[in-house]
Amino acid sequence: MTELSMLAQADFPAVMPQVTLYHYLLVSAVMFVLGVVGFVTRRNLIIMFLCTELMFQAAGLALIGFSRFHLNYTGQAFVIFVLTIAAAEAAMALALVVLLFRRKETLDASTWSELKG
Amino acid sequence: MSELFNPILLYGGCALGALGLALALPRRGVSPQLVGALIAAIGLGGIFLALGVRAKAAELPNFLFYIFALIALGGALRVISHPRPVYAALYFILTILASSGMYLLLSAEFMAFALIIVYAGAILITYLFVIMLATEAPTAEEVHVLRDYDRYSREPIAATVVGFVLVALLATLLGRGAAALPAPERFGDAPLLAAVPGRVERALREAEAIAPGESIVVDEAGVARIDVEARTAVVTGGEGGETRVVELPADLALANTEGVAFELIAAHPGAIEIAGVILLMAMLGAVVLSRKRVELDEQARAAAPGAGAGARP
Repeated sequence: MTELSMLAQADFPAVMPQVTLYHYLLVSAVMFVLGVVGFVTRRNLIIMFLCTELMFQAAGLALIGFSRFHLNYTGQAFVIFVLTIAAAEAAMALALVVLLFRRKETLDASTWSELKG
Repeated sequence: MSELFNPILLYGGCALGALGLALALPRRGVSPQLVGALIAAIGLGGIFLALGVRAKAAELPNFLFYIFALIALGGALRVISHPRPVYAALYFILTILASSGMYLLLSAEFMAFALIIVYAGAILITYLFVIMLATEAPTAEEVHVLRDYDRYSREPIAATVVGFVLVALLATLLGRGAAALPAPERFGDAPLLAAVPGRVERALREAEAIAPGESIVVDEAGVARIDVEARTAVVTGGEGGETRVVELPADLALANTEGVAFELIAAHPGAIEIAGVILLMAMLGAVVLSRKRVELDEQARAAAPGAGAGARP
């Protein structure tokens, strides 16, 4: 049960029990909530965007877990699109951060609180 | 109630984790980060114990899963609690590496390595660059002084309470949903073997089931004659020129990368195009957002070619 040969594909087409899937889903849920809490509490713009990446990561883990459980590749193919969106989001968000930093010379999110109107 | 977990242990673990998170977040005054991280780790252990007491030993995941989960969630905790942005980004790389370990345990090898290359190799390096670009240069005597907005977090207690409620809710609902999921009966990608005759032929040749001159018969419609149900293939071209039926090797299966490729190219060709357009738009957007407007003085404006039109203020 616990040999290293179990890593990767050794037991792949075997059916994965629901409890095992639930373990991965719990890790994904906890990681997602850590991302949410970080996004709400941290005041540094870059860390806030890092926390959104954490949430993407949690979603990806859940997708891969379901892909393994249902024994098809749809979840894995979907994670590729999650990676694509994460890359696009990182490019845009970081360009925005650099732009905002040039305006006010600080990364504090609360200096932009006039945007809430 | 669901039978997958012990509710008292699960919610107790969630509450301990929330308490640890609240202690670990940076705040004014004393912030016992190490104690908080330890309490959060104990809470995580409680969550897994809540699952372990109800499950059969054979149904529990590999012990490597627990190691990877601890590293991934510990790294995630440090991402949101470390006061220095560069360290937070480095801890995020640790989380990525541990997640790709979990991908390997879930037999998604291609995505595991794509994750390391794309996330740890590209996206996080971009983050590190921007962190270093967008930081005020410290003066000589305040090299180790942190910015105020990095040192204190905003409303840590309220955010942690919301996080606790969210994770308890997610755990309950996911537990019920996972318990109700029907297990799949058989592996669904066997029909795809008929689409890769070259690979089947190579496997047959390596198993020495066919002679060097023989190859799989392809009918007029261009479909290779491979019967995936009976796991046989029709081959021809041997010395006598006769056609015969051979059995496929028992361990012949699609590799993970081939399966993902079929899913991506055959099932979602439009989505790939859309992803390409999104990436192009993001690139254009980043270029437009981050370009610097150069202010020219009178002399330079007169000297510049196309004076007036090219240099907007």
